Formats: sequence, structure tokens, C-alpha cells
Amino acid sequence: MNPIDNVTFEVLDEIGVICLDNPPANELVIPGFIPVAIFKEWTDSASLKGLIIKGAGKNFSAGGNLDVIFKTADHPDILQSLMRDGLELLKFIRRLEIPIVAAINRVCFGAGLEIALACHIRVASANALLAFPESNQNLMPGMGGTAMLPGFSGFSQSAKMILGGDMINAADAKELGLVDFIAPKDQAFEYALTLMQKMTHGRPVKVITSIMKALKNSSDLSQDEAMAEETKLFCSLALDEAMRRKTSEA
Amino acid sequence: MTLQWTVEQGIGRLTLHQPPSNTMTMEFFRELQALMREIALLKPLKAIIISGSGRHFSSGADIDELLVSADHQTMLENYRALVLLEQLTIPVISAVRGVCLGSAFELALFSDFRICAADAVLGLPESTFNLMPGLGGIQRAAALTGKAAAIGIILRGDTFPAEDALRMGLVDAVVPKRNLQMISMAFATALPVNFVKADRVICLHKFLKPLHATI
Repeated sequence: MNPIDNVTFEVLDEIGVICLDNPPANELVIPGFIPVAIFKEWTDSASLKGLIIKGAGKNFSAGGNLDVIFKTADHPDILQSLMRDGLELLKFIRRLEIPIVAAINRVCFGAGLEIALACHIRVASANALLAFPESNQNLMPGMGGTAMLPGFSGFSQSAKMILGGDMINAADAKELGLVDFIAPKDQAFEYALTLMQKMTHGRPVKVITSIMKALKNSSDLSQDEAMAEETKLFCSLALDEAMRRKTSEA
Repeated sequence: MTLQWTVEQGIGRLTLHQPPSNTMTMEFFRELQALMREIALLKPLKAIIISGSGRHFSSGADIDELLVSADHQTMLENYRALVLLEQLTIPVISAVRGVCLGSAFELALFSDFRICAADAVLGLPESTFNLMPGLGGIQRAAALTGKAAAIGIILRGDTFPAEDALRMGLVDAVVPKRNLQMISMAFATALPVNFVKADRVICLHKFLKPLHATI
């Protein structure tokens, strides 16, 4: 099966929208739901200012397809390679230099939640439900969920959520730091789009990528290195803006 | 002089003084750096309180001047002034009222404590004029409020009231405007002589919260 059958991409006014399209629950047929090469192709456009990832219909995503997992389980090398593809994709998403927002309506489980946690910002509708239910099937998160979650909610809350396998609602998710903004019922995408427009409209792409780079540096580099980079990026923008003002005066 | 420096009862008062909105010029950063080098050699102060002259903390850098003269070296010098401030062993409190934007907010983020009057308006609006925070504001904001919220405030570039800043963890307390000076001074006085940065949160709970509750 062509894995890209279950994901669509469109551009709305400089904002790219990735849609997990496998209704009703938008299950991921394979962990690497978009090959990185195709993702790059979609997002390489020089004019793109941000990305939103959402689910088709009512839900964000119920996560991975267990049948695929169990069928490939007795070929460990195949399963591992599938999981690696998924991991590579999430790593690529995390390191994007334009902002990517997860727009979460209703169900967001397992690998669906791992995708959301890899994004830069999470908007959840008031009726969203989040969970790592893998332990109920004698499994565990396999695409970085256990590594990412403590960064948001701390060790003890993460242990409870992953071991317990219980769902939490949007308000509790916000309290735990898993979600950044709460949208009205079923309105996560609309909210995310408005937020994205406020963050990107009228801004040169270079301003956006410079800020995102500087933010990425805050966790990748030492403070001294990150600072030196920040002033360099700033000076380059200042030079552009000074030129822009000179040209508009002339 | 674009800043004023006085010492009252062992507490240094640093006032940004460039009315009406205390714009931070290159001159200001030079004076700040010189003062920081001087203070590091002085006999020990109990604390330093930074505030703005008049109704505002500061509207931030002088953009026109910055666009004409911002080279990497100048920016590093400006940054160095803030690093010297941060490296002082004396606790530094920013007492913020009115606007506190851009570089001014970055200055406050380099302080150990941020106390705001309820009327304070904060923000990193650089992206709205095609720039970005360049003195460490991005790194500090991300450390205090998390990357997701930092992306939101920096890319949107909109201003927000003190209460929102408190909710995001960007400031430590919001107090009635008329009590800002008194609470900042009382807090500065209450801080332990052997203050270390690791005790920041303990000091907030032990001294600032009770003051806030009683005054």
C-alpha cells in the first residue's frame, strides 16, 4: 500500500496543513506515516511560514495499527525498521525551522500523542482526550513517547500516565503541560489556524526561521553558544530591516 | 546619564532614566556595563533593585539607533552588560510598572526576581518589526515558560498584562501599583546576606509570598 494514501497536504495562505486521513480514528497504518523525503518535498517551499497537523473528521488520531504491529512482531528487524522510520519522521518534525502546531480534536492516543508531542505547540479542543494506552495491550509507547513525556509533565506524572494507560481530558492535559492552548469543542484546527496567522502573517520567512533556530539552540547548544548565535541571527535581521527601510525611504 | 544609581540602606537602586519611556540606547548599555564592573568591586550590597524613572520601566531598545549601528560586536557588548548583571553575587530584583518591552524585558529576565505592578505590560514585540529578541530573551523565555509558550509570545509579538506573565512563569509576583516600591524594598531587605541563585525559589516562598499576603 502506498503509505501516503492516508495523509493529505494542502497549503492555505502560506500555512501548510497536514491531515491524517484514515477515518474514523485516523489510525496510522505504519509508524512513519509520511516518508521523510515526501515530508521534505511538501515543506521545502521557501514561502511556507508554518505547519498545522490535524486529523480528518472528528478525531486527531487513535495511534498505530495494532494488527500491523503484531503481524510484523515475529520479524523483529522489519518492525524495528518501521519504528525507526517513525522516529526519524518525528525527529524531523521536532527540528523544523518553521513552527508546527498539532490541532487535536477528540481522540489523540498512542502514536497520535507522540506526533503531537513532537510538534512545537499543541492546541486541544475542550473535548479532546489524550492517552498512552499501550500498556493495556501489554505494550509501551515506541516512538519516543516515554522519552518526550517527562519533558512536559515530569517523571512521576509520566509514569502514572504511561503505566496506568488511562485517558486524560484537555483541561487535565493543560494542567500537566501536555497541551498549550485549549480551543472550544471540535475547534482545534480553527484555533490553531488563527494562532498560526497571528504568529506568521506579515512576517518575512527569515524572521520566523531565525526565531525558531534560536529557540532550537536553547536546548541544542550551551548557553554561551546559543547566545552568540542569537546575536548573530539578530544582526542579520537588523541588516535586512535597515536595508528595507532605506529602500522604502528612497 | 541614561541611568541613575543610588545606594539606600545597603540596597542599590538602579533607575533607567531616559524619559518619557526610558529607551535603552547604546549609551545606556555602555553605562550599564561600566556600572556593573564597578559594583562587582564595591563593598557588598544586600541587593539591587532595577526600576524605570516615571510611569514606565522601559520601552526597550532605540530601534532607529539599533538599525543604524547594530553590528555583532555592539550586540555582544550589550549582551555582556546583561551577563555582568547576572553574574553579580548580589541578588537583583526588577520592579516593573508600565511598559516593559523588548530589551527591557530581556533585562528583567536577566534579574534574579521580577516583581510587577498590576498595570505592567510586558512583551517581546521584535518580530512585529521584522526583528527578533537579540540579548538572550529567547533563551531565557524558553527556560522560564517552555518552548511552546515562548514560540507563541515571540512570534506573535503581542504585549500581555502582568497577570498573564505570572501565569506563564515569566514574572514572580504581581502587586498593587502603589505597593510596588515598598514590597520590592522589603523583599530586598529580607533576602539572606549569603544569597545564592539556587535559593531563588525558596526565597520567593519564604519572603515574597508572606510580604505579598500582608501588605
